[in-house]
Amino acid sequence: MSMVRANGIAQHVEEVPPIGAHRGTVVLIHGMTSDSMASWFLTLAHPLAEAGLRVLLYDLRGHGRSARPATGYRLDDFVDDLEALLAHWGVDGPVHLFGNSFGGTVAFAYAARHPSAVAGIVTIESAPPTGEWFTRMARRLARVTETLADADAVAASRPLMARRMRDASALLAQTSIGEELPASALPDAAAFAAVDCPVLCLYGGESAVKELATATERLLPQSKHVVVPGQKHTLLIKAPDQVRAEVLPWLATHVH
Amino acid sequence: MPLDRTTTILADVAGMLRSVLGDFGDDAEITMDTTFRDDLGMESIDVVSLAGRLQARYGTSVNFALFVSGLDVESVGELRVGQLVDYIADSLAKVPATS
Repeated sequence: MSMVRANGIAQHVEEVPPIGAHRGTVVLIHGMTSDSMASWFLTLAHPLAEAGLRVLLYDLRGHGRSARPATGYRLDDFVDDLEALLAHWGVDGPVHLFGNSFGGTVAFAYAARHPSAVAGIVTIESAPPTGEWFTRMARRLARVTETLADADAVAASRPLMARRMRDASALLAQTSIGEELPASALPDAAAFAAVDCPVLCLYGGESAVKELATATERLLPQSKHVVVPGQKHTLLIKAPDQVRAEVLPWLATHVH
Repeated sequence: MPLDRTTTILADVAGMLRSVLGDFGDDAEITMDTTFRDDLGMESIDVVSLAGRLQARYGTSVNFALFVSGLDVESVGELRVGQLVDYIADSLAKVPATS
């Protein structure tokens, strides 16, 4: 495990070096509450290294093995973290950003802030930071908070899930994420006009997130959208083969 | 000889596991048959967090991302410590000797 201090807190980072010729850098950003860098590490870290990319991963604040401060969960805090980590890693050229769910939103928000610093964006079950998406996230956070209020009962029936649930539960109960994140200041729609890198968005056919694809296309007309039938919001961890089959050929056309 | 090497690697890996597990790992008995999840209570993120420690100890000769690639968040917990130790031993055996 590698812990670094970035943007004022301890953050868990890992790195997988490129195999063969170095063709660029990718940062993999996971989703909210019960997610961690593991979902990317187990599915795409090696294939991306094999494609010649330096693969960088981190646990978002409040998640995995990174610190869980009581406050500081606005969208801008997550973007500031990514900025600080890229400086720590010494990444100066344009970087590929891959994001699962909320991780994709962090990627889009970073691109809105630094359009020329991003070489490409791949998202899974995600959307840029818009009012509609944040309303959905707020509902989701509220629902998860409710479910996890029952965490003890669930943990007793499924001991293997116990810690992940306790961690997610602590994030929601002991921090201000539930209030701060939905109230985040969002980038202006105009900020996305300068984002001209290639964008690939994957969705699960059984998930409602794909309803946001049209709005994403309006903001980012160059974006490509693919729906994987039969999958839900857990697309990345439940159907990694299909995710790889979409992402790797797409990447090959943009990374030389 | 190979047995000695396995013992050394197991001791290294056990040390890394204890530091990942923190206080909880102090008196955990760690053998080749120990499973990450059922015996040590590790989550997928705990297993993944071994990556940096393995890199620091063995450099790029042990490709941990390859070892776990294709496992999902559930099956990574079913791994035994011995599988990782054997993988490390095999990887190191492939590195050309420098002296």
